[in-house]
Amino acid sequence: MLRSTMVALAVFAGSALPAAARWSFVGNDGEAVALDETPVRIIASQDAAAGLIPLGIRPVGIYADSAVADAKVLQGLDLSGIEIIGQSWGEVDIEKAAALEPDPIIGEHRPLDNSWSGGDDVVAALSPLAPLTGPIQGYSILTLIEDYEALAQSLGADLSASDVAADQAEFEAALSKLKTAVAANRDLTALAVWAGTDALYVAATEGSSELMNFASWGLNLIDPEVAEDRGYWETLSWENADQYQPDPILVDNRSEATMETALAQRTWTLMKAAEAGRATDWPAFWLRNFAAYVSELDKLTVAIHAAGANLAP
Amino acid sequence: MSEGVGNRAKKTARLTSGLLLLGLTLAVIAMLSLATGARAIPLENVWTALVDFDPNATEHRIIWDLRMPRTVVGLMVGAALGLAGAVLQGATRNPLADPSILGIHAGASLAVVLGVAVLGMTQLSTYAWMAFAGAGAAMLVVYSVASLGREGATPVKLALAGAAITAVLHSIINAILLTSPRTLDEIRFWQVGSLSGRPMDIALQVAPFLTVGMILAFATARLLDGLSMGDDVARALGQRIGLARGMAGLAAVILAGASTAAAGPIAFVGLTVPHVARAITGTGYRWILPYSMLLAPILLLGADVLGRVIAPPGEVQVGIVTAFLGAPFFIALVRRRKLASP
Amino acid sequence: MSAKADTSRISAVRHAAATRGRNVLLGLALALLAAFALALYLGDYPVPVSGIVRSLLSPLSGLADRSVDFIVLQVRLPRAILAVLSGASFALAGIIFQTLLRNPLASPDIFGIAHGASAAAVFCIIILGWSGIAVSFGAFGGAVLTALAIYFLSWRDGVTTFRVVLIGIGMAAMLAALISYLFTRARLNEVQQAMAWLVGSLNAARPGDSIVLAGAMLVLIPLMVGLVRALDTMELGDDSARALGAPVELTRLGLMLVAVGFAAFATAAVGPVGFVAFVSGPLARSLLKGAGRGFAQAALVGALVMLVSDLLAQHLLPAVQLPVGVVTGACGALFLLWLLMASGRSGRVN
Repeated sequence: MLRSTMVALAVFAGSALPAAARWSFVGNDGEAVALDETPVRIIASQDAAAGLIPLGIRPVGIYADSAVADAKVLQGLDLSGIEIIGQSWGEVDIEKAAALEPDPIIGEHRPLDNSWSGGDDVVAALSPLAPLTGPIQGYSILTLIEDYEALAQSLGADLSASDVAADQAEFEAALSKLKTAVAANRDLTALAVWAGTDALYVAATEGSSELMNFASWGLNLIDPEVAEDRGYWETLSWENADQYQPDPILVDNRSEATMETALAQRTWTLMKAAEAGRATDWPAFWLRNFAAYVSELDKLTVAIHAAGANLAP
Repeated sequence: MSEGVGNRAKKTARLTSGLLLLGLTLAVIAMLSLATGARAIPLENVWTALVDFDPNATEHRIIWDLRMPRTVVGLMVGAALGLAGAVLQGATRNPLADPSILGIHAGASLAVVLGVAVLGMTQLSTYAWMAFAGAGAAMLVVYSVASLGREGATPVKLALAGAAITAVLHSIINAILLTSPRTLDEIRFWQVGSLSGRPMDIALQVAPFLTVGMILAFATARLLDGLSMGDDVARALGQRIGLARGMAGLAAVILAGASTAAAGPIAFVGLTVPHVARAITGTGYRWILPYSMLLAPILLLGADVLGRVIAPPGEVQVGIVTAFLGAPFFIALVRRRKLASP
Repeated sequence: MSAKADTSRISAVRHAAATRGRNVLLGLALALLAAFALALYLGDYPVPVSGIVRSLLSPLSGLADRSVDFIVLQVRLPRAILAVLSGASFALAGIIFQTLLRNPLASPDIFGIAHGASAAAVFCIIILGWSGIAVSFGAFGGAVLTALAIYFLSWRDGVTTFRVVLIGIGMAAMLAALISYLFTRARLNEVQQAMAWLVGSLNAARPGDSIVLAGAMLVLIPLMVGLVRALDTMELGDDSARALGAPVELTRLGLMLVAVGFAAFATAAVGPVGFVAFVSGPLARSLLKGAGRGFAQAALVGALVMLVSDLLAQHLLPAVQLPVGVVTGACGALFLLWLLMASGRSGRVN
């Protein structure tokens, strides 16, 4: 709430000034970035790009954590005409970045370790070129998308444009369908997991923005009892795969390999929902825009209905 | 002299009974492997699962679907690694020789990384074949490189070639892993060397290769004895050195490649076990080989069981436990000059 | 009469050796200069030669151009300097070990010191959550601790090559397992960060790194020269030297610590870049053909290898920036091939 107010104030302050448009944005590390003109040439991290492109802001350069074809967050986006200046974590081509003459660099800020997208080396490489700013990776994907909308608007995007508005409308529709499904099936408990060959990892709701969103919309998510890594994951040996009996099961979908690994484990089906095939996708950590959120919500809604139908006498 | 014959007979008797003792220990450890795990299952239930299997009982499923394949793979991989190490050390007359030093593990790893990153393989049983191919290719390269020049593949040159090729392959692997987090995420568990998550099919796929490798290895026992006396003596005795080394190398590649394919690269077993075997049996590959073959799975399964119980509710992979157990032991061995030259 | 002819022949040989040594040194220095110039010139951001010269002189002349200066003075120059300094450091570490242990196999990359630095760095990144300079400190500490551990574990009435190498390999395996274990316990982005460090790269070359490394070299090089002079006395062999009262073990230990210092500081600055230490000594020696020990020449070879490898890493493939460790690895492989073939012809290794 406070943050949105700050953002709104910043945008208002920026738009209230006459002629020589001063642009100012308060990034979520609390620092305000000000430029003499509304920035046009943006270098964005892959996450920021996924947030801004659907809203009509096209960066001139993107630095990605992996080969662009592998990056789940960039799938489905039209990247033509954008220079890719980095395809591996922590590395950017500084000279290519300099040749692009960026005005701001936009990434995401992680308050937990006070770091930015791509890590310290990328920050050190890019910050001499242009100021670095951006929203926070926080407790809600919805808020993150709203932050991107505010940022895009300050950069001159028209949020009432037909495709942008259509995305939002579709999202509202998908969300209401989800809420209906959840309300109709209050007895369900879901579990979010990542499957490896050596162990099954159970996710804590607090560690993931989209899980926090799902929980806030009424989905009962099981939280692991004993968790490591700041309380975000519980490691279960496959012998103990039936520690919880959720329905449906949400499986990390950043890579198809995860679901395949899960299916290949002989004790995966110790969970009755797995045996019945009621495992669906968990869009873990990569959602940044309404279009992607819509397709994931639809899958979740279907899974909830299927699980509910199973419970019904 | 009758005394000499008497001593030899005593030695044979002693070593045979030692072998039987080892076999017994192995059986006990195998049972332990079936009975232990992250989930506490009472012994009677373990027994019931074995003799009166009920497909609906969760505990029975765990015994048969998880612990049994794990134990079987552990037995096979252990035996293979022990034999491969013994054969390599004998063929290269190098107490350091083991599948990881001669580049076999690095070759297997690179092949798997390529399979996952480039060909998009995701399942253990598919990239197991890549591992096998990579292991063979690496060993071939190491051997060919070491054979360049007049003297052929001497022990020093083999070690040099192996170390260099390993380092080169690792830098390529790291470069690929940096550009593909997806691959990194999968490989970081495989590369450690683990027996968990291996279904029985893996054991069945790998078994024929292990059998061939074992037969070949035992066939080289006499040749290895000859080689251990030094190239010149061996030649004088009419031994064909090239053939001996070639056969031994082939056996080692088959054994080590197949075991890496099944369990990932497990580093210390092939290096340490032959030394322990030699310390017990003295020279004579007729004994060193079977002792290595039994000692290694005892070490491996023991390490696996340890890994299952020291970090509940998760596990520590066997490759890590063997390294932490094996390295200090090996260092102690080196310090006490117990390193008998093979 | 014959004695006089002998001494004049000896001094003639010595003179020839010294000349050859100087010539090789000069040749290497020129090659290094050329590579350095190339490093300043090549890059995605096009800068003409005149622009480079102007940038280099800008602190004196005051003529500045913000963007070009940034590229030349803040990106290319620090990177080239760091390559030269770290390459020389790795090379000196390598040649000291190879001389002390009398074995071309003896390189800090192979028997554990690099692994010690890596394990410490990965531990700092994943468990302690450190980054940047702090990780470099950790890596340094790890290298020194590992070297000391290897030394003391191999000490039993003295240190033999055999024992040092074996124990080093044992420690290397244990440390590699530790790194693998840490990788399985961490979240993916921490693993990525650790992986990036492990590969070794000059990409994040900060001027600070070069300053620390240069400072270290300023201390270590004189130490090395002094200890090597003492080593010359020991050329007579350990027993005779001991009879002469020379503190053999202490000198050896001292030199080993100096070598570890070189390796540790260089690894802390650029990560564990492999093969430079391994390759430089033998290459220098083969250029000299027996004319002297070759420490200075080795340092220049190392600098050259690192610099050229970095250039290749940056510009060889069009869309991709390889880490320098990959290219040095390939160089190492080629070198080994050459070594094996050469040894095949001459019948001995080194």
